[in-house]
Amino acid sequence: MKPISKSVPKIDHCAKTRGLAEYVCDYDATGMLYGRILRSKHAKADVLSINLPAMPEGYDFIDHRRIPGLNRVHIVQDDTPVFAERTVEYIGDPIGIIVGPEEREVDRLLACIEVEYDILTPEFDARKSPVAFFEYGYEKGDIAIAFAHADRIYEESFETGRQEQMYLETNGMIAEYAQGKMLVHGTMQCPYYVHTAVAEATGLLPEDVIIAQDVTGGGFGGKEDYPSVLACQAAVAAYVTGKPVRVVLSRREDVEFTSKRHPAFCDIKAAVKDGRVTAMQIEAVYDAGAYTTMTPVVLQRGVIAGGGVYSIENLKVKGEARKTNTVPSGAFRGFGGPQMFFAVEMMMSHIAKDLGEDPLDFKLAHTAKLGDATSTSGMHHFNVPLPAMMDEVAQACDYRRKKEAYADQQGRLRKGIAMSAVYHGAGFTGIGERDIIKAVVRLRKDKDGYAEILVANTDIGQGLSTAFTKIVAQELGLPFDRVIIKLPDTGRVPNSGPTVASRSVMVVGELLRRAAARLKDEWLDGEEQVIEERYVHPDFMITFDIDKFQGDAYPTFSWAATAVEVEVDTFTGDIRILGAWGSYDIGTPIDENIAVGQMEGGLVQSLGYGMMESIAAVNGRIRNNSFSDYLIPTAVDFPAVDVSLHVEEYPEGPYGAKGAGELPLVGGAPATIEAIENAIGVKLSKTPFLPEDVVKALY
Amino acid sequence: MVGSERLPDAQSNQPASGSVTAGSLDEALKLRKENPGLIPYAGGTDLMIEGRADAAYLFLGKVPEMKRIAQDDEFIRFGAACTFSQLICSAHTPGILRDACLQIAAPAIRNMGSIGGNIGNGSPKADSALIFMATNSMLRLVSADSERILPIRKFYLGRKKLDLAPDELIVEVLMPIHGIDNYYYKKVGGRRALAISRVAFAGIMDVRDGIICNCAAAFGSIGDVIVCLDEIDRMLVGKSVEEASALKEAYIDAYNMAIVPVAGRVSADYRKQVCMNLLRDFLESNHI
Ligand SMILES: Cc1cc2nc3c(=O)[nH]c(=O)nc-3n(C[C@H](O)[C@H](O)[C@H](O)COP(=O)(O)OP(=O)(O)OC[C@H]3O[C@@H](n4cnc5c(N)ncnc54)[C@H](O)[C@@H]3O)c2cc1C
Repeated sequence: MKPISKSVPKIDHCAKTRGLAEYVCDYDATGMLYGRILRSKHAKADVLSINLPAMPEGYDFIDHRRIPGLNRVHIVQDDTPVFAERTVEYIGDPIGIIVGPEEREVDRLLACIEVEYDILTPEFDARKSPVAFFEYGYEKGDIAIAFAHADRIYEESFETGRQEQMYLETNGMIAEYAQGKMLVHGTMQCPYYVHTAVAEATGLLPEDVIIAQDVTGGGFGGKEDYPSVLACQAAVAAYVTGKPVRVVLSRREDVEFTSKRHPAFCDIKAAVKDGRVTAMQIEAVYDAGAYTTMTPVVLQRGVIAGGGVYSIENLKVKGEARKTNTVPSGAFRGFGGPQMFFAVEMMMSHIAKDLGEDPLDFKLAHTAKLGDATSTSGMHHFNVPLPAMMDEVAQACDYRRKKEAYADQQGRLRKGIAMSAVYHGAGFTGIGERDIIKAVVRLRKDKDGYAEILVANTDIGQGLSTAFTKIVAQELGLPFDRVIIKLPDTGRVPNSGPTVASRSVMVVGELLRRAAARLKDEWLDGEEQVIEERYVHPDFMITFDIDKFQGDAYPTFSWAATAVEVEVDTFTGDIRILGAWGSYDIGTPIDENIAVGQMEGGLVQSLGYGMMESIAAVNGRIRNNSFSDYLIPTAVDFPAVDVSLHVEEYPEGPYGAKGAGELPLVGGAPATIEAIENAIGVKLSKTPFLPEDVVKALY
Repeated sequence: MVGSERLPDAQSNQPASGSVTAGSLDEALKLRKENPGLIPYAGGTDLMIEGRADAAYLFLGKVPEMKRIAQDDEFIRFGAACTFSQLICSAHTPGILRDACLQIAAPAIRNMGSIGGNIGNGSPKADSALIFMATNSMLRLVSADSERILPIRKFYLGRKKLDLAPDELIVEVLMPIHGIDNYYYKKVGGRRALAISRVAFAGIMDVRDGIICNCAAAFGSIGDVIVCLDEIDRMLVGKSVEEASALKEAYIDAYNMAIVPVAGRVSADYRKQVCMNLLRDFLESNHI
């Protein structure tokens, strides 16, 4: 490990463990109005009328007619309304906001509002939906020839479920409008996303809108787009009433009505010649929910992952995101990747088994190598360390011995083990960093020699502020306490881009490193200095064409090999995870403890995605909307997971670092499902796979 | 405070006005009689979920008579306000009950939740109540004016309906000491902690000198109430293990007819299959 990797206590550790950190719901609400959202009770309907109860003095109901700016929440596109105008598109679609000084009275009034609906026919099945929000695809080689020459052709369909982020802190915002300035603060990942959206919805000039992040209790992607929606609603209410407005979602509201991972369906047809896969044709349908929100970008990432980590000469991938009348699907750690990798990993294992080869060997024989073309005909510019990583994991979990021992089991309890290989493309897709984000960072040194980091990236519990502080302190040769980082506030920090896409350390961290290096060179004692750095696109990249899906989709990749061992109780369907092993290449870890913690947490979250976390929308309604009903793994559900870091340095990242945050969520589910499959001897094709599914498969 | 969900009455951190804490059983019974609106409150782990702002509670956690664990020749007597943690630590607690208590919720809830509350909330998913049903335990129900001992199997009248008079309290649970060592227990939850049972099964097979003296099966989480079907279990009572083996399929068929689970977080079919698998395993593990 490099010196930078040596672990330090996280800089937010004490404030959080001592309860001093102030989250948005902790602010003294004196003088504020409480806001509660009136939501649609139907999955698709026209709102005919809204009948309000007698409103006491100081209480108000605000709907789309009183929005000062555009009734649009700008996310990627502009189809999400702040408040529905006529047609509501999912159960929970916001119709208006009721505000007032007493929380209970607001709740009472909300319950008294009568909405008259004309109920329309909703669509819940993405595969049948006639509305395709987005369609992407690409081709490499010639699949027609490959299929024509194939020894065997395999066809299968895969399905992945909806997943809820379940961050500990629910979404919440406070908006204050005074003297023509709008301040909105709360829990979020991307202050500048919120900034653009609030300026549009309020009609205020960008310079009159300030967005500030409060201490944030987890995000996992769930606070990438949704905070823009809530901020617009709170800001509109603050604008109309002239009073500060606080909207903090209850857990049930948050689970039911904020974004989730896209459920997906994936059909794969594969050609095999001489025991090796020569072609794959992949068609995926992602369930976008009612509005587009982050879906185009999620789908892009999913489509690009077609073919997984393998060099498949002939590849044709098509992905569609279809509209359904359910809560909008959005960003979630992995961002479109887990769905596609699940399908490809399962497909590869199934083909291997059919050919009588161990899936691990079969996968190793297909793994991409340095210099190989990527799925989108870009290039693997850097070493692909997967063979070594898969070997490390195989050793650690005793894969080959167990595989043999578990080959043919009878009896009540049956074991299985399996391994997956995945990547996560580090940073924004294609030329997003260069053409859309254009990150800017600043370092400001004061007269006393303290350096302050000015970036818009947020620490949401993942340790980012510690990582940034380490990078800058190291480069400047300053002790830790001479480097300052505060919660970002768009009035003070430049737009260094959102905290998403596993980009923050790799892209923003590198800009900070360069800024610090320059500051050190130009250091003048006793003077205030400001150093600015702007994003520079790596020149080795083959420019990505987003219309054709051709070129380097990512500058580099983070890699993971994950093995899972399970024991299945064939009487009850109970699935016990006996062990989970992961080798992760995230480049140089900027802090070993933080990196390992992220890998462990992400691995556990991916095991949850595999065998526990299930959030069904039955006729558009999500019922398991609480911690007791939406089960996520507890500390006793999994034994200590065995995580190791395999470092392939990325020359363009700070000290060799690349993307870390999302990677561990990608590989757990396919390994878990294949392990269950190996245990019970039944071919499986969906995640999550629950005890009930086991029993259904066996009896 | 981290997290935004506040229970309506947690805001003031004060119990609703009119709530009272009883210092003795007599006082508790007197209060119960005089204030029929007071809701008995032991650990509050069920009641807090509802968090009714308008409710007034009768706190039982400080009633010494309800916190005791004692034993006589026939029964172990568990005070109704005993917590699961208390039971887990007590040398009096039989294995089947300890096993069940150890799988309830997680330590924090086990430190607060009581058996009286578990029985009193009337849930078919109550894990300790399932054990009391399987072991044919008795409840000591007391009011200011009366006292009765009722088999717990008669206590549940229907969905959330209890044979409990408005002035009565569950004061003790009387669990038989003998004949419950040979047990079978399986809780099926969605995960290994903090999981409400999706199916739970408890079985007792008391075999003396090769003759089955008692056979009892109890099924939790499958309908309105915990299911115990004495008339089916009696098929095997008084039989030798060999005779029981001959009756095995008939016994299983009888349950197969009788058990009609409802769907909940899991399907009725799943519940049914698991019940039948566990019932069969219960017999087979007893060489039947
Ligand atoms: C996170 C969580 C996990 C849980 N997991 C489980 C689990 O795994 N298994 C399980 O079985 N339960 C579980 N529960 C439910 C609950 O903890 C148990 O039912 C517990 O036994 C309730 O006891 P209590 O003392 O807290 O009851 P309380 O909430 O105080 O009371 C419950 C009911 O019983 C009545 N009552 C209480 N005492 C008496 C009495 N002496 N006489 C008459 N009526 C009385 C009350 O009026 C009320 O109606 C869980 C609850 C939570 C919050």
